[in-house]
Amino acid sequence: MFSTLLGQYSRSFTVLLVAIVVVLLEVFGVRSAIYPGLLPYFEWIKYSSWIGIIGTTYGSIYATVEAAHLLSMATIGGLVLATDLRLLGVLLRDVPSETVTRGTHKAFSIALTVAILTGIFCAAGVGDKVYYMEVFWIKMLVLLTGACFMYFIKQPLLNSKPHSEINPWLIRLLAVTSILIWFTVAATGRWIGFS
Amino acid sequence: MINELLLQFARWLEVQEYSQMLLAGYYSYNWLEATHVLTLMVSIGSLFIIDFRMLGLILPNVSATAIADRLHKPMIIGFVIMFITGFLLVYAKPVETIQSLWFRIKMILLLMAFINAWIFNARMRAAEGSWDNDRIAPKNLRIGAIISLVLWCGVVTMGRYIPYDWVDCANTTNTAILWAAGCVDQLNAL
Repeated sequence: MFSTLLGQYSRSFTVLLVAIVVVLLEVFGVRSAIYPGLLPYFEWIKYSSWIGIIGTTYGSIYATVEAAHLLSMATIGGLVLATDLRLLGVLLRDVPSETVTRGTHKAFSIALTVAILTGIFCAAGVGDKVYYMEVFWIKMLVLLTGACFMYFIKQPLLNSKPHSEINPWLIRLLAVTSILIWFTVAATGRWIGFS
Repeated sequence: MINELLLQFARWLEVQEYSQMLLAGYYSYNWLEATHVLTLMVSIGSLFIIDFRMLGLILPNVSATAIADRLHKPMIIGFVIMFITGFLLVYAKPVETIQSLWFRIKMILLLMAFINAWIFNARMRAAEGSWDNDRIAPKNLRIGAIISLVLWCGVVTMGRYIPYDWVDCANTTNTAILWAAGCVDQLNAL
């Protein structure tokens, strides 16, 4: 019975296991031990890598990539809101929710890839600054959580069966969690800009 | 002439009590800016979904007008919030913003984007019914969608350029740029 349960929810258990490992790493001080060792990589990416050099030398290129990052985040936001508000029964009520979740997933993946690539470029230009920012690490953690949530929990669950066969409260919970996660990613990004 | 009038107006705004309060309050300005940027996800996010659908890149098996109609309301709400916060951002830094070349280009692109949206909407209504469930919208609507995407990408990019001082009045002596940015004092000093 246990193996059947594990098989059915293997991805969810994997995410739970990762979360437990992260908490244990924090409790046993592993993260704080690793943290100082990351500084050379952040300095290298700013001063020695080609993306860091382009970002620090050409302000116009840096600002244009920042705009591309914003546009990809706006696209992610639009897709997340359209999908999750449909799951909550607020938007696009006359379109099956299965159609909306499946039809927007590819575009979401492309927008997320663009956001990550442009985000790496933007972070590289200010590598030695973001390293010391707590909010930067919060954003990275929430981004990782959001990606894991999307690809290992939300999408597999919504694709597993017709939505009418899934507990409606579970669907609402997925939608609200998704909106909160991606809003936090965007808000922490803005917060980095203020710091 | 128009540059002088705009500068006069900006200087009048700058001495208003609420303008100074907005700028002096560190959090008030940042909250405004954050709201302005984060609302992009609602306004431009919804707009992009409509444009992508017209191009057949997203939800091709859903009626294009249904997508446009259902996303119209959140998109308009997003744009209204963006305009209010955008206006307040200009109100907080009127002289600096009105003399920004990027801000001026942004406003022109914004105007073009709205004219395009108006034409696009009229064409979509006129074409309603015959193409609605096609994977790709008719050519004129696809062109409208591409123009919309390009213009809004331009608007966001110009908005991102505004904080940078590459062509600020104090940093350039190029007469054309000074004129385009409305740097009246610098032009008079030449």
